[in-house]
Amino acid sequence: MDRMNRRRFLKAAAAGGFACAFGRTPQAVHAAAAGTLAAFDDYKALVCVFLFGGNDSFNMVVPRSNAEYNAYAASRQNLAIAQASLLPINPLLPDPSGALYGLHPSMPEVAALFEQDMACAIVANVGPLVEPVSKAQFQAGSARLPPQLFSHNDQQDQWHSLKGQVTATSGWGGRIADVIAGPDVPAPLVQPLAVNLSLNGQSLFQTGASSVPYTMGAGGPVQLFGLDGADPLSIARRTAFDAVIGANYPTVYERAYAGVQRRARQAAGMIGDALAGVRSPNPVPFTAAFPASPLGTQLRTVAEMIAARDALRVNRQIFFVATGGFDTHDAQVADQPGLLGNVSRCLAAFHRATVEMGIASSVTTFTQSDFGRTLTSNGDGTDHAWGGNQLVIGGGVAGRTIYGRYPLLQIDGPEDVGGGRMIPSVSCDQFAATLARWFGVPDSQLAVVAPHIGNFAVRDLGFFV
Amino acid sequence: MNAARSAAAAACAALLAACGGGGGSAPPVVNPPPPPAISRADAWRFLNQATFGATEAEAQALIAQGYGAWIDQQLQRPASLELPHVQAVFATYPPGADFTRLHEDRVDIWLRNAQNGPDQLRQRVAFALSEIMVISQLSPLVGFPWGSASYYDMLAQGAFGNFRELMEQVTLHPAMGVYLSMLGNQKPDAARNIRPDENYARELMQLFTIGLVELNLDGSVRRDGQGNPLPTYDQQVIEGFAHVYTGWNYAGAPNFALARPTIQNQAMPMQAYAEQHDTGAKRLLSYPGAVRTQIPAGQSPQQDLDDALDNIFGHPNVAPFISKQLIQRLVTSNPSPQYVERVARVFENDGAGRRGELDAVVRAILLDPEARAAPASASAGKLGEPLLRVLRVWRAFGARSQSGRLNAQNIPGFIGQGPLQAPSVFNFFSPFYAPPGEILDQGLVAPEMQLATEYQSSLLTNYLFVLSFCYNTAPVQACPPVPAGLQPDLVVIDTAAERAVAADADALVTRIAERLNGGLVSPTLRAEARAMVERVPATETSLRVAEALYLVSTSPELALQR
Repeated sequence: MDRMNRRRFLKAAAAGGFACAFGRTPQAVHAAAAGTLAAFDDYKALVCVFLFGGNDSFNMVVPRSNAEYNAYAASRQNLAIAQASLLPINPLLPDPSGALYGLHPSMPEVAALFEQDMACAIVANVGPLVEPVSKAQFQAGSARLPPQLFSHNDQQDQWHSLKGQVTATSGWGGRIADVIAGPDVPAPLVQPLAVNLSLNGQSLFQTGASSVPYTMGAGGPVQLFGLDGADPLSIARRTAFDAVIGANYPTVYERAYAGVQRRARQAAGMIGDALAGVRSPNPVPFTAAFPASPLGTQLRTVAEMIAARDALRVNRQIFFVATGGFDTHDAQVADQPGLLGNVSRCLAAFHRATVEMGIASSVTTFTQSDFGRTLTSNGDGTDHAWGGNQLVIGGGVAGRTIYGRYPLLQIDGPEDVGGGRMIPSVSCDQFAATLARWFGVPDSQLAVVAPHIGNFAVRDLGFFV
Repeated sequence: MNAARSAAAAACAALLAACGGGGGSAPPVVNPPPPPAISRADAWRFLNQATFGATEAEAQALIAQGYGAWIDQQLQRPASLELPHVQAVFATYPPGADFTRLHEDRVDIWLRNAQNGPDQLRQRVAFALSEIMVISQLSPLVGFPWGSASYYDMLAQGAFGNFRELMEQVTLHPAMGVYLSMLGNQKPDAARNIRPDENYARELMQLFTIGLVELNLDGSVRRDGQGNPLPTYDQQVIEGFAHVYTGWNYAGAPNFALARPTIQNQAMPMQAYAEQHDTGAKRLLSYPGAVRTQIPAGQSPQQDLDDALDNIFGHPNVAPFISKQLIQRLVTSNPSPQYVERVARVFENDGAGRRGELDAVVRAILLDPEARAAPASASAGKLGEPLLRVLRVWRAFGARSQSGRLNAQNIPGFIGQGPLQAPSVFNFFSPFYAPPGEILDQGLVAPEMQLATEYQSSLLTNYLFVLSFCYNTAPVQACPPVPAGLQPDLVVIDTAAERAVAADADALVTRIAERLNGGLVSPTLRAEARAMVERVPATETSLRVAEALYLVSTSPELALQR
């Protein structure tokens, strides 16, 4: 209270927010014990961009050669993107069938990342699988399948957890953190901050069996008011607050909540100070302009966190950011350009920022989404389906390449299990395992991260240089 | 002084209740023993389950009446509504004003009804239903403030009605129609590869009525011989229902293609337009005792809907699925299977042979021994969600503003949760969410923990900080003056009674614990709060109150709903 800045308080109060009100004392970054890091002494970051609702990614990456486009257009009818408007992409290794592809016209930034920067790869028709499955096996019911296909939360959980047919309790991002800080690697990671950081709420993806993620806001952590002053009353308040949240409690709910409060107290100051060090009035580490959208704000903060990696004394980070609105049952033609355009601008700004900071080859960004959508329409939108296309972007990515097999987009075609739902050609386990290997998970531990990887012949899709 | 008088009156009432009242001379063998007196802690616990937060006045009424009579009185109270308020505010808008801002007024009237509505139990159950049959402003519904308010009113008015009727009202409400795209759902057109929209078909079953897997009456999952859960439906069933829900659009148009939203029809049930309704046969759910598992060809849209909703409503899952979630929203995250079964039996038969009577279900939930006996296990109770935690403090301390508005400060923005503002149809949290650690390890759940991230919990802690120090009837001296423009709308709590006893640190902490928790406070919290208060000179009563209230209101034990 005593150190409260009246003008800032009023401004914040008038704006309906208190973020700046009870400001903290600028402090040196908290010293934290960091061990020697033999195996993980470099820096790497994975950035998961989750597109909530089920991105219609067969309208994001679209065939543009005549035969394949005609099959697509016949399936998609009024939802088809005009052939001439597609942004051509030319993979280094052309599709042996001669098929050509393009990107949705609202994604010129991603097209440039793919074509010019060669920093973008497409993983075609990827989705949750327990084991490889053919249409005949699907129809005969003879293959093991993930349960509750085509349901939002179940397929989100599949993407997050790779749980297959069992109940999910952890996610593969969380398990990566478990492995690299665990006893089964030669030199376990030690760092003062959680590996998994979310800027978009709690997610199963980041929940480990032993590691605990940390959640902040789109712009960074919230500092608790009134607890950081150097005056006697603030010190006493801080001491009392910490004693209360540090006490033992009779119920599991109080104990869990006190744990959240303790983690909030511990990390907010450390991260807040580190972010302040890379934000105006201090020199800012990049000039790339981020869209003002929620996703742009989140990715800008991630870029700032990466800029502050030395101050934070971290070597491995997995960020979770997300944006919604992709459940285009309605008004798909009207909504999709805005949705995909925002994703494209945000991904490109983020990549540019990492290039400016000279860290691009250590940062890999990838999209995930609940599922692809049906090729059939309901008149002005599409329904929940299965496989879909994802983007992988970064300086370490073997870009300008389509990995996996892009399906023939034909209703009742060889990969359609009904209504235009594509059987994935590549499993989420393979997708995750490839990213995990790059991040430093040893092959011996890959099955911890991706439990079904042993069911697939290829465990690294090869999208890294 | 008021509070002292209230406390005395409460004690009096408790005494009367303990004596059984009346004092008649009926034969002792027939007369049941008088119900045990309701302690203050009991009263607070009950009211934190059944209302948006215990107050001294409501506790007095409860202690005087007893649980059953209090519930019966609440069941009779008509719903406090939102739509008339939203309409009245809109009438003051200049032409061309951005009407999406009416959502702020919708939230305002929600907060007013939660804070001051006499129909507390109805409003609390409506809030629970709004977290099961979810629509959200964070969607195209941002353009439908009237529809959103009307949807909430429908939940409040149906909170004690029949669940089958509520299913139909929810299904035909245009706000739900927009949110889950049943509105405008067309019949199939093979030539154009158009198939009916499956969105509502899926979520009505998965989230609002039966869930994904078969349940026993006690809420546990039924399994096959190999131990696998039994799915309640498959893709063909979803497609059957998707065909049922074709042909519905905004009311009042000459035909389907010309149906458009208006201020009026977004609060009116959707209308069927036969030309876009699929008239083929349709597959329904199959389960033992199903009246029909198929809809014959050639029926009208309303006949199809009646048959389809009857088919879902008759499913054995509905009783345990809805009963357990209502228990979780009102009483505890982890009810025993026996508790779920007792309530589910009432759902199946209210005692007069009627199925799905929600008044009887709510009564059974609140009067169950597991809700009323002293909490005995480490998993009794639940975590409070941000809106409920703020209202608990607001109500305990008589929050108000000069203008009567309660959302002028955008309360959801402060605390990270607002009514009808879930991120998706999956609500703010899943009923199955288990945070890693002992809760997950023990097979328990804590749905509200999904919202309690480091970020969200800090937002709430900070709001309670400004409420304690500044937004009250005696801000501490260092607080900035409130700008004149904000003054009439500033929501403040009344801490006069606390300042009156603030010279005595222990009495102050006791007073706050009485208000917020019926007197319960752990030794650690009492000691820390008392020591903190004693660091402040006894003459600085506002600051003493602020320090104590901040520590108590942000503590883990106040995050708990016992």
